[in-house]
Amino acid sequence: MKDRAIAILRSLIFVSFSLILCAVVFQFAGYNAPQMLTAVVDGAFLRPGAVEQSLRWALPLFITAVGVGISFRAGFFNIGAQGQFYVGAIAAAFAAEALRGGPAFIVIPLIFLAGMTGGALWALWPGLLKLRSGTDEVITTLMGNFLAGLLLVYVTSGPLKDPSGSGQQASSRPLDAAYRISNSLGLSPTIIGIAIVVGILMWLLVNRTSFGVLASLAGRNGTMVRWQGAKLWQLGLSSFVISGALAGLAGTIEFMGPNGRIASGFLPTHGFTAILIALVANLSVVGTAAAAIFFGGLASAALYLPIMAGLPAAAIDIINAAIALFITARSNLVEKFLRLGRRSS
Amino acid sequence: MNDVIIAILRSGTPLVYVTLAGVIAQRAGVWNLGLEGLMIIGACATILGIMLTQSYAAAIVIAIAMCVIASVLSWFVIEKLKANPIIAGLGLTGLGIGGTALAVESIFGSQATVTAPFGAPKLGAAFGAYGVLSIFVAAMPFVVFALWLLLKRSRFGLQLSASGEHPFAARGVGIQPVRMRLIALSIGGILCAIGGAELATGSLQFFAQGMTAGRGFMAFAAVIFGAAHPIGATAAALFFAIAGALGIRAQLMFGDKVPHDLLQALPYLATVFGVWLSGKLGGAKTAGSFGELKDQ
Repeated sequence: MKDRAIAILRSLIFVSFSLILCAVVFQFAGYNAPQMLTAVVDGAFLRPGAVEQSLRWALPLFITAVGVGISFRAGFFNIGAQGQFYVGAIAAAFAAEALRGGPAFIVIPLIFLAGMTGGALWALWPGLLKLRSGTDEVITTLMGNFLAGLLLVYVTSGPLKDPSGSGQQASSRPLDAAYRISNSLGLSPTIIGIAIVVGILMWLLVNRTSFGVLASLAGRNGTMVRWQGAKLWQLGLSSFVISGALAGLAGTIEFMGPNGRIASGFLPTHGFTAILIALVANLSVVGTAAAAIFFGGLASAALYLPIMAGLPAAAIDIINAAIALFITARSNLVEKFLRLGRRSS
Repeated sequence: MNDVIIAILRSGTPLVYVTLAGVIAQRAGVWNLGLEGLMIIGACATILGIMLTQSYAAAIVIAIAMCVIASVLSWFVIEKLKANPIIAGLGLTGLGIGGTALAVESIFGSQATVTAPFGAPKLGAAFGAYGVLSIFVAAMPFVVFALWLLLKRSRFGLQLSASGEHPFAARGVGIQPVRMRLIALSIGGILCAIGGAELATGSLQFFAQGMTAGRGFMAFAAVIFGAAHPIGATAAALFFAIAGALGIRAQLMFGDKVPHDLLQALPYLATVFGVWLSGKLGGAKTAGSFGELKDQ
């Protein structure tokens, strides 16, 4: 319990520290920092409609981040959430194209299935390479992100190209209104329901099943788990597939909900933000929900900052980057400060 | 033929400099995913430096100073605060991309492209058709050779590799891995500044938001594909540049009929293949636990 409290305190300190650091930098860059901070809070939660807007960003991020957390727990540094998110959305778009005209109650589940399968497959090959040949997953999943980005460019300017598109940004044909799961504001009971179901299932998986316990143990000490007779291979591959499927699910939601189509290079920082959320949450599912709401709020504030504080939306990217820079710090200094005098080994 | 080689050298040179920065960091045991951020800081600082001082040499000094400061910051975060190098590197990249956009916006009040009055010094008429290339292109082979000497033929290089691979053993013989990494990352900062300067002023003379467009990550791929050997990684970077130039050429000649996206994917596919192969052959230097430094 005390450890958990320390972990939460630690994340809070790092996030606030990054925010203050950014505020100081912005002040020196000639912006009004207090005005910026109030604009962030306003844009994220206080302004009318802000909570809905923040949730719109938070829910898909939550789903991807929970998946990232699962693979990190199992000891696999899968940084390919962005690629899995893209391939999920691409697979969903292909399914929607193929099933055009069918009854919604059949087509919608099939599109979801396709999206999750796409994301899972895009995580499967780095998983297989890792577990069969020891190929480092950091590199394969990072390369997978770029490959998926190129694949997205290819399908949106090739097979799925919208002929009536403006040419500014290649995009797919819009999804039939009958299959959309939300309007373009991006919040609907369906999406909230999916996020809640995912949250509960993953919480149960992590905390109440032998898989979750073994995977967490394997992440800390693989050899020990192998000696206890668990199949490390299956554990590892499952965690890759689950994290990929969840990123694919988030991609499908973005496609069927707020966006209604896929476009080349859409939501380019989704995966990175999801990794940050998982790390800020210290990989706990409940913490991921809280962190997702915070980062969803930042994403929503990004659209509001230029109007309110005269700051470019890049300011939010800088805040995210600053959090990334510091969030994994685990220096003795930090630990000592957090434990308030208690000796740490 | 000349114009193809010129195109390859133009796109390849920034990549080579940044790749060399990645090589020296990798040898010191740091997986540097901040290359993209350092490169864009270098590009932006060069253009702003030219506009501020009207002197190219001063602009390069400013760019190098900015990149070294950013490198030292990342060294502090991963070495002193013991943050994960990969996540911190991605953070540095985010800071570079966002920070340069913010700098341009705060100075010029808009996010438009910033054009400098002049670019890098060119080789001049004595080099015939190649005279349009910048001095950094001509310097590149010498820099590669110098880095090869430094890393593979000097005491420093050996100490650096020892710090990266066996930090405890290195410390046992009186090497300070912490300081070696500071030196490695600082040299990397200088190289990234030159890479960024060449990108922004070699054949162009402007800075645009996000103009590195993933080149830093491609350089990281070249480091891995080239097994962190200065010559191998340079060859990988040039190979990626050739693939890119051929892709553009194929698109110009045949239009959209050829899948040029596939050629663009080649560097990434090659890297995955290279890592897989080196893992198979047993020579892989894998990140082990999340790319952490080995003495933490």
